[in-house]
Amino acid sequence: MNGLYLYCIRERMEGAPAISSQGMDGKGEVFTLAYRDIEAVISPVSLAEFASEEIQHKAQNDLPWIKDKALIHEGVVEEAIQKRGGGLFSLIPMRFGAVFNARAGIEAMLAKDYLKIVQVLDKIRGNQEWNVKVYLSDKALLERMIKTQNTAIQEKEKELAAMPEGMAFFMEEELKAVVAGESAKVMTQLVETIFDRINSNAVALVKNRILEKELTGRRDPMVLNTACLIPATRIEAFKKGIESIRRDIQPQGLVIEIGGPWPSYNFCGY
Amino acid sequence: MRVLAIMVNALTSSELKHDRVTLVDALDKVLEKGAVINGDIVIRVADVDLVFLGLRLFLSSVSKAEEVSGKCLGNSHKELTSEDRAYIERLQREIKKAEENIPKIINANSPQETEQGLAKLVLTLVELIRKLMEKEAFRRVKQGTLSPAEIQKLGLSLKAVKKKIKEIQTVFGIEDEELNLDLGPLGNLM
Repeated sequence: MNGLYLYCIRERMEGAPAISSQGMDGKGEVFTLAYRDIEAVISPVSLAEFASEEIQHKAQNDLPWIKDKALIHEGVVEEAIQKRGGGLFSLIPMRFGAVFNARAGIEAMLAKDYLKIVQVLDKIRGNQEWNVKVYLSDKALLERMIKTQNTAIQEKEKELAAMPEGMAFFMEEELKAVVAGESAKVMTQLVETIFDRINSNAVALVKNRILEKELTGRRDPMVLNTACLIPATRIEAFKKGIESIRRDIQPQGLVIEIGGPWPSYNFCGY
Repeated sequence: MRVLAIMVNALTSSELKHDRVTLVDALDKVLEKGAVINGDIVIRVADVDLVFLGLRLFLSSVSKAEEVSGKCLGNSHKELTSEDRAYIERLQREIKKAEENIPKIINANSPQETEQGLAKLVLTLVELIRKLMEKEAFRRVKQGTLSPAEIQKLGLSLKAVKKKIKEIQTVFGIEDEELNLDLGPLGNLM
């Protein structure tokens, strides 16, 4: 028995190229189902493989399967967003795992949510999603900067220099705690400032969860994770803005990195 | 997000079409973001965010017991005896020796890989104990139940242990971050 896997919903236009990526099951074609001026991008999948208990079981025991399927999903969406001859469709990417029993279900869904879908497509049209991430790559540099600006800390350091070694050991630890506290405060302010600066070029901006080191594979901790929706016409200004931020935060031990363009995963809720 | 980490770490080099950043971003978006539909849907993937409870090891502190019983150990007026002075000097020598050894070992370019696994384990446990002792010491210093001489000795002892651990780490080529144990569902030791 076959069901239909839904990858995304996009604006419908004449002459859209056929999607060549293989679908979820590795063999079925990926095709579209139209409703008025929108269409769903779908492909057939075995309901046995994609049944509820099966997927939940795989989420616990077969993560490589989930990973492979998630990457197939993203691959189809990346292809579906491309217009012939350059340019991008306005497109709502689905979250992983939406499977319908039959075409009728998809048609009903498109009809029922038509107005909301069109609203979101209008919001996304002409815009690109980019991620901006900031990392604290040189904690020592930040702490040195804080020390030069904080007289209380400088006083404590003078006291420490005059102490016998054993007592100094405890004072040092206390001082470290104070500096760490100040760093946290300064960091929060810096992050807010960066966020506001990125905002000036964006149509919409969201903060996302900070990713742990085991995900980023980096030694330096992430301090800001945002997704922004930037009009295509403002991309250059956005990139210039990032370069300017990069220069300004470097003396504070921070680095900024951007990635994109992405389909609007963060701005397509309805 | 732990599930995401397991997936990313299970990749073989041949599977990496994108670099790691793009891959993590792609999986994050597809699994956690994107539009969610309610309708005639057969399945919804289980929320794949498995949360492991990080259980921390709680150790009762002697200080708490002291507070409860009203006892106050130690004599705040104690002066440094000659024994104390000798001990202090010995500790200072140990610290200096360890500090001098570390760059020598690095220059000789010979971190020993044999028995590194065992050394890591031993050092991890020693480091845990050192951290706990340090916390306890702090508590007592703050409480004011120690004399200046005792604070001196305590501080130097803790510093000496810290330096010694560092020295042994250098011998085996073990980084600070490696001194940890993954206790599975209990999270990391430290």
